[in-house]
Amino acid sequence: MLLASGLTIIFGILNVPNFAQGHLYMVAAYLGFYMVMSYATNYWLALVLATFALGILGLIVYFLVFYPIRNAPEVNLFVAAMALLMILEGGALYLFGTETKWFLIPWSRRVLTLGELSLQVQRLIVIAGTVVVMMALWVFIKKTALGAALEATAQHREGALLCGIKVSRISAMAFVVGTALAGIAGVLIGPAVLLMPTMGMGPLLVAFSAIIFGGLGSIAGAVLGALLLGVVESLASGYISATYSLIVVFGIMIVTLLFRPKGLLGREVWRP
Amino acid sequence: MKIFSPVRIGWSLALILAILLPLVLGEYLTSILLLIAIWSIMAVSLNLLYGYTGQLSLGHSAFLGIGAYALGLIAVKLHIGFWPAFFASTAISGLAGFLIGIPALKLRGPYFVLVTLGFAAIVGVIVLAWVDFTGGANGLAGMPRPNPIPLPWGAELRFDSLRSMYYFTLFFLVLIAAICHRLVHSLIGRTFLAISHDENLAESLGINTMQKKLISFTISAMFSGVAGALYASYNVVISPDLAYFARGMDVLACLIVGGAGTMAGPIVGTFVMTAIPEGLQIVPYLKTLINGIILLLFIIFLPAGITGGFKAFFYRWGHAWKSGKGRNGIA
Repeated sequence: MLLASGLTIIFGILNVPNFAQGHLYMVAAYLGFYMVMSYATNYWLALVLATFALGILGLIVYFLVFYPIRNAPEVNLFVAAMALLMILEGGALYLFGTETKWFLIPWSRRVLTLGELSLQVQRLIVIAGTVVVMMALWVFIKKTALGAALEATAQHREGALLCGIKVSRISAMAFVVGTALAGIAGVLIGPAVLLMPTMGMGPLLVAFSAIIFGGLGSIAGAVLGALLLGVVESLASGYISATYSLIVVFGIMIVTLLFRPKGLLGREVWRP
Repeated sequence: MKIFSPVRIGWSLALILAILLPLVLGEYLTSILLLIAIWSIMAVSLNLLYGYTGQLSLGHSAFLGIGAYALGLIAVKLHIGFWPAFFASTAISGLAGFLIGIPALKLRGPYFVLVTLGFAAIVGVIVLAWVDFTGGANGLAGMPRPNPIPLPWGAELRFDSLRSMYYFTLFFLVLIAAICHRLVHSLIGRTFLAISHDENLAESLGINTMQKKLISFTISAMFSGVAGALYASYNVVISPDLAYFARGMDVLACLIVGGAGTMAGPIVGTFVMTAIPEGLQIVPYLKTLINGIILLLFIIFLPAGITGGFKAFFYRWGHAWKSGKGRNGIA
């Protein structure tokens, strides 16, 4: 869900589906892993550090890659995002190796049992962290001037420009916030899963499906979409098979695109 | 057009080189040339869709995989000879392109890209997970080489050596490039170009954009399937990483580096992008990294690619191509 909202912010403002988002999340998970496992950093400190690191990475990437070609045809932006994905995946394979890694923190094997329900503690932390971050994000967007500028830019670029909003600065900020969200998501989920350089792809596709299902450019839609799809995905992996749950999720996305292209809570679909 | 235009001379020289080189090169270099030819077929097919029709698809690894697995499954499990299996696999990948194209092409911009990416991911998952059928992670072995073609006077064309396999692939590359060239120069090719420039405008001129895009997509998928079938036949073993979506991205990288929307672009790009890593002898993981960096540099500084850059260079100096062709000027 965090991944989905990060994507929504970048997508809404820049109109670029950031294919590299899942890989940024993978990079964050590895960053957290190395901080905690190799340098014995406190997990929470690592969470904060990785989030900042990813934000800075986002800033660098934005100014190196997306800023110079902001006026190019949008297809070029897609290709640039794809190139970024290749760089991150290749770099991760080279630096981190192909073998999967366990991100061990003191409570990573602890399981909480409530009656018939058993849950990894870390998954509870993920849920709690997501709720906290989503609330912070909501406050940021709805209650601060900067957030209002962000929303205005997403709704109507030229209009925002006319109102004196520095659109290019807002775009950079949106990218940074989006990547920082990937950073939080990566470190949060890290201890609950196995780390591998391609771990970002599945969540990326689910996140894209979620924002399309929920409605593009709407953060509430992304949250709703991610919630519903999350439920569907776990039901599908429980009752059908884990490998085919991705197909179910994607099927939902395609059906949504065909019959209600603006999603559940979306605005207009296509901006020329 | 003049008979000895620089473009024609260039193509003829390239073809002569492509035919003569394997005669002097060793096994290893010939096998690399063969791979270049296979990936060029795929880049040419992607070029028809992206370069000329303006639709960016990240899903062509799916058609490559479908072509390869269709050939393998039909030939290995049904014990049918190479040729029926080859034509069937081409038809199957074309059909897959047609079926996925109907919903996907209704969408534009990022949505289309996402659906193609999702399709590629789904095919990748199916290939990996459907172990009974596709062999799962172990892959599928025992692909047939093409059966000999009987020639008059008792001779026959056999395909059991590496060199003959190379010429077989080269034949298809030339054939497919020629088909694409004809197609792009025909009326329907002009409508493709119109769609790539401005889809709304093309539609307002009475072009059935959906139909034209679907044609382009289906043909492109079909040719990717040919590339897959050729790869399967050459490599004898196919594994799921053939259908992994990153393959589609690599080929797209070749296409953009070479120059999308030009005839030579995909071939030049594939050659360069294969020759550089091979020449430097780098590990495969680093290859993805370097491909990504090269692609990024090109998309920022020279989005028209190598051939596009050349063309702009010649324009500026007032040399060849006096007839004034546009962005998608056809070489």
